[in-house]
Amino acid sequence: MPDATTTPAVALSGIRKSYGPLEVLHGVSLEAREGEVISILGSSGSGKSTLLRCINMLEVPNGGSVSIHGEAIALDQTPGRAPRPRDNAQVNRLRARAAMVFQSFNLWSHLTILENLIEAPVHVQKRNRKDCLAEAEALLERVGIADKRNSYPAHLSGGQQQRAAIARALTMRPSVMLFDEPTSALDPELVGEVLKVMRDLAAEGRTMLIVTHEMAFAREVSTRTVFLHQGRIEEEGHSSEMFSNPRSERFKQFISRENA
Amino acid sequence: MPFDLPFLAESFVALLKGIPLTLQLTVLSVVAGGILAFALAFMRISGKWWLDVPAQFYIFVFRGTPLLVQIYIIYYGLSQFPVLRHSFLWPFLREAYWCAVLALAFNTAAYSAEIIRGGLLSVPAGQVEAARACGMSGLLLFRRIVMPLALRQMLPGYSNEIILMVKSTALASTITLLEITGIAAKLISESYRPVEVFVCAGAIYLAINFLVARLFAWLEYTVSPETRKPEERRA
Amino acid sequence: MDYLRLMSFGPDGWGYSLLAATGVTVAVAVCGFLVGAMLGCLGAAASFSRFRALRSAADIYTTLLRGIPDLLVIYLFYFGSSSLISSVGALFGAEGFVGAPAFLTGALAIGVVSGAYQMQVFRGAVLALPKGEIEAGRAYGMPPLLLFRRIVLPQAARFAIPGVGNVWQLVLKESALISVIGLVELMRQAQIGAGSTRQPFSFYLTAGVLYLLIAFVSGRGFKLAEQRAMRGIRRAV
Repeated sequence: MPDATTTPAVALSGIRKSYGPLEVLHGVSLEAREGEVISILGSSGSGKSTLLRCINMLEVPNGGSVSIHGEAIALDQTPGRAPRPRDNAQVNRLRARAAMVFQSFNLWSHLTILENLIEAPVHVQKRNRKDCLAEAEALLERVGIADKRNSYPAHLSGGQQQRAAIARALTMRPSVMLFDEPTSALDPELVGEVLKVMRDLAAEGRTMLIVTHEMAFAREVSTRTVFLHQGRIEEEGHSSEMFSNPRSERFKQFISRENA
Repeated sequence: MPFDLPFLAESFVALLKGIPLTLQLTVLSVVAGGILAFALAFMRISGKWWLDVPAQFYIFVFRGTPLLVQIYIIYYGLSQFPVLRHSFLWPFLREAYWCAVLALAFNTAAYSAEIIRGGLLSVPAGQVEAARACGMSGLLLFRRIVMPLALRQMLPGYSNEIILMVKSTALASTITLLEITGIAAKLISESYRPVEVFVCAGAIYLAINFLVARLFAWLEYTVSPETRKPEERRA
Repeated sequence: MDYLRLMSFGPDGWGYSLLAATGVTVAVAVCGFLVGAMLGCLGAAASFSRFRALRSAADIYTTLLRGIPDLLVIYLFYFGSSSLISSVGALFGAEGFVGAPAFLTGALAIGVVSGAYQMQVFRGAVLALPKGEIEAGRAYGMPPLLLFRRIVLPQAARFAIPGVGNVWQLVLKESALISVIGLVELMRQAQIGAGSTRQPFSFYLTAGVLYLLIAFVSGRGFKLAEQRAMRGIRRAV
């Protein structure tokens, strides 16, 4: 087992991604150490969501490499062909360790909340159903929707659905959590309950990568902030420093616009 | 033309004997056609033109021509080829029964394939992506997420298709099979009392189709508890 | 080639008779379709009626005719009207079975069946109308008939085109069933050819191709009509 203190939880190096002739990521490198909470900021079209989706291969990068806990994902990046993973089993295994929370929740509409939580642990990780159920119940308790365990997603509010989705990610016992604009689809009054859950997770020392528009959250909760502009990292650093002392003109503009 | 009750009862009993054959033809062709339909639907959504185009052509041909033509081509038409007449398939292709099943199956496959394709395409992309992000893929993803979601969309259309198939089995009577309509035609030509026979046969078909519709309504109800209010679910 | 000579327009070819039979198929299908359109309109109107009896009658009509095989309906119409004619004939001293005209009874039978389907299409089209537009008509003081003529009908007609196109395809294929009561349309002509030349595959295949051709061409027609109707909507906005 690689040493947690020296091996980054996630290591991206030189990630390039293009759609047809359009390159949206021009070689992005980023490391997330164990226990770090990284906010990824940028205006729409900056490539921030694409970058996050390259980590678990929902988008396969055309160039560069991705390692999770030191294990590099084997990629076939032959030029002129669509890039693809060499070993789908490896991708599935690593995906289970890097759980994702989506902007639109994407809870499975045909399963109850509890069933949503245990679906992947039971069928992908082949864990014992009873244990998973107990764990899932406890997690629902934690995110505050234990009473909804037997409801279907359609009967929950957006905030409740997103909390359920976070609980679903947690039942995978992930070592890294990926959040793709988790509050962007929510009504303003529901944002707070989701951010609170995320704050608690950060306080627990979980490794998190968060694509977000919530500036206050990025500033207060994340240890590091990365600002993407047009497919490149424009600025990165400790969150508190970056927000009080933005170096690049673009990031300055970005915070003033977002805070306006 | 007064209604003759004894004759009505007599016809009804005679027509009841046709039910097993009608049901057999329906079930066999729906099962065989369903399997073929799945294959065609996957060819359509494969994204590979050399699979998509043949499937499209098949669907175009079988949906664009009368079922009667398809039945006649298989039952009468194939005998034109000596090669087939001497092959191991002939014992089957000589039988009106198997020809009817074959034609009905080919026919329903074309219609069902589009229903299945529609169901598969209706599965929300986000939910599939969430499953991938959890490490699901291939058969597991299909079995646990895609199929249950697609099924909900498919059932109403498929229920209609099966009712159409029950009605379509009537055409088997044109190649000598004595299912309900075959018996009805025989009774009419013997008695010249079309109205009474029609009433009996019609009532039997309506009863079968009513049951099919109820069965599917029940299936739809049981597979989609998420569309119900929580109170109803417990009840 | 044997096949080409068989289907040729020469003295021993079947080209002309198949072509004529195709004409009969189109004619009987069009007649049945039009009868169905009328019945469908009446049924749809009845289903929106204030009177419960009319609504139930429409409901029973569409449920029955969509649940019973078309072939059975064709038998009923043919043998039913034949026995009626025969008994009338007996009054005037004629003997035995007198067949009813196959074209007429066939067209009526598929008309009655397709009416049940067209009724559903028309109902759906009316239900698809934006409620707000009808309300607006009412708010400007349109009486019911004017509202129906100026607002409901033109829009519902547009919504109905795809569904009506489907029913037409259905009617076209159903018309093949009229061959069982002896009308020499395409299917019956193919049967005659198959019987006298012992080449059933060639004849049924040709019939199939001709059906496909009619379906394809008329399908294109409906697509075009739909596009024009929808363009109208955009222009109106």
